Amino acid sequence: MLDLFFTAFCLAFLGAGLKRPFLFVLAYAYIDIVAPQKVSWGFLTHIPISLIAFSCALLGWMVAEDKNGIRVSPRQFVLLLLLVYCGLTTRTADFPVEAAAKWSWVWKALVFALFLPLTLRTRLRIEALTLTMVLSVGVIVIGGGIKTLSSGGGYGELRLLVNDNTGLYEGSIISAVAMGIIPLALWLANHGTIFKPDWKAKLFAAGICFSCLLMPVGTQARTGLICAVVLAVMMLRSTKRRMLYIGVLCAGALVAVPLLPSSFTERMGTIKNHQADQSASTRVAVWKWTIEFAKTHPFGGGFDAFRQNSVSYDTVKADYAGDNNAAIETDHIEEKGRAYHSAYFEMLGEQGYPGLALWLLLHLMGVFQMEVIRRRYRNNPPEGFAWVAPLADALQQAQMCYLVGSTFVGIAFQPFCYMLVGLQCGLSAYIGRVRRAAPVPFVQRRPVPAQQQAGTAAMEIS
Amino acid sequence: MIDKITIFVPHILMALMIWKLVHRPDLDDDPALPNRRQPLLGHRATRFEADDRRPDA
Repeated sequence: MLDLFFTAFCLAFLGAGLKRPFLFVLAYAYIDIVAPQKVSWGFLTHIPISLIAFSCALLGWMVAEDKNGIRVSPRQFVLLLLLVYCGLTTRTADFPVEAAAKWSWVWKALVFALFLPLTLRTRLRIEALTLTMVLSVGVIVIGGGIKTLSSGGGYGELRLLVNDNTGLYEGSIISAVAMGIIPLALWLANHGTIFKPDWKAKLFAAGICFSCLLMPVGTQARTGLICAVVLAVMMLRSTKRRMLYIGVLCAGALVAVPLLPSSFTERMGTIKNHQADQSASTRVAVWKWTIEFAKTHPFGGGFDAFRQNSVSYDTVKADYAGDNNAAIETDHIEEKGRAYHSAYFEMLGEQGYPGLALWLLLHLMGVFQMEVIRRRYRNNPPEGFAWVAPLADALQQAQMCYLVGSTFVGIAFQPFCYMLVGLQCGLSAYIGRVRRAAPVPFVQRRPVPAQQQAGTAAMEIS
Repeated sequence: MIDKITIFVPHILMALMIWKLVHRPDLDDDPALPNRRQPLLGHRATRFEADDRRPDA
C-alpha cells in the first residue's frame, strides 16, 4: 500500500512536470530529501528515480524554459570550481574505490545547486522550492516529533521512517537540518502565497517548528541543541519585540526543561566535559590527526581519506562521592578509520586547503549576500517586495545553523545544504533581475543641496 | 500509525501545492518582471493590424 502510494505520488509529480516543467525541479528536490526509494520496497527501488527526475528537470529547462536574462553569479562560479576541484582530487584519492563511491552522489548535489538558480526565475518558484523543502523535511520530522513525545527517543534509538542511518535519516544531521527549516517554515506561514498565511498555515507551521525542536531531544544529538541556541540568537536580531521574544524563550525553557528526559540532559551535559565522553573525545582526536595530515597533504587525500587515520586518547571520568572525594577513572582508547565528524575537517582532510577555502568562500559569500539583500529590503521595501528581507533573513539563519552545526557533523556535501545554497543564489539572481528591470530615467536629476534650494525659493519670493 | 501520519500529511499538502502551481500563471511569468511573451505577441498583433490597414488589404 505504502509502496503504491509513493509510486503514484512520484509519477503524479513527474506527470505534472509535463505541464509545467519547473515541477520536475521540485520533484527532484523532493526525491533527494525524502528518498522514497528507501522508504518503499517495490517498484521505486528498482528504477533510478532520482536520475530520471534530474534528467527531466534538465531536459525541461533546456527545451521549454525562458533563458533570457540568465547570468552566472560569482557564487555559482565558486561552486563550479569546487566541483572541478573535487573531481580532480577523486582521481588522485588515497582510497580510489571509496572516493569514487562518494563522488557518485557529491557531483549530483553540486550540479543541482549550480542548476537551481537558473530555474528560479519567479517569486512563486522560489516559494515553491522553499515549501517543497519544508514539507519534504516534514515527512521525516513530523513522525520523529510524535515519536519523541510518546517515547522520549534516545541516542541512536529514534527510528525515523526508515532504519537507515544515512543522509537526512541520521540523527545529528536531521537535528541540524530541522533547525534550519524552522525560519523557512515561519517565512512561509507569514509570506506564503501558495497556502495563504491564515490560521491553518500558521498552525501547521507551528506544528512543524515544534517537531523540528523535538528532533534534538528525540535523537539526543548535541549538534541540534547548539543549532537551536544559534537560531534563537539569530532570531533575536530580526525580531521586532525583543523583550517579549526573550520572555517567551525563557518561559518556554522553564516549562520544557523539567519535561525533558533525564538521558537527554545527561548527554547534553557532556558538551561541557568532552573528556568524559568517548564520542566527543574521538572527534577532538580525529581533528588533531586531520591538521597533521593536511601538513603533509595540503591538497587533501580525496574523499574518505579518514579511513587511514589511527587515533588514541584517554577518557577521564570522575565520580563525585561528596566531601571532596572523587574516583577518577581513566581509559586509554585506540581507534582506526574514524570519520571527521565535522564538515570543516572533512573539507580539510579530503580536499586540502584549496577545497576548504572554496567551501568557506561559498558559504561566507552566502551569508554576506543575504545580509546585503536583507538590509536593502528591510526598511520601506518597494510595493510587493515585503517578502524579500524576511526570506533573506530566514535563509541566512538556516545557513548559520548549517555552518555551526557542521562543526560537529560531517555534512560538507549534504545535498540539502546545497539546495539552500541554490535557493540563496536563486533569490539573489531574482533580485538582480528585478533591479535591472526597474525603469531608470535617462537623465537622472541631481540632488539639490538644501542651501541652494532655500536660495532659489527666496529669489522666487523676491 | 505514526509513520502513516508523517507520510500522508505532508504528501497531501505537497499534492495540493502541485495542483495549485499547475494553475498559477505566475509560476513562469513573474508580474514584477517584464513579460517576455507579451511584447512578441503584441508586436505580431500590431503587424497584423498594420496589414489590415493597408489599402490593398
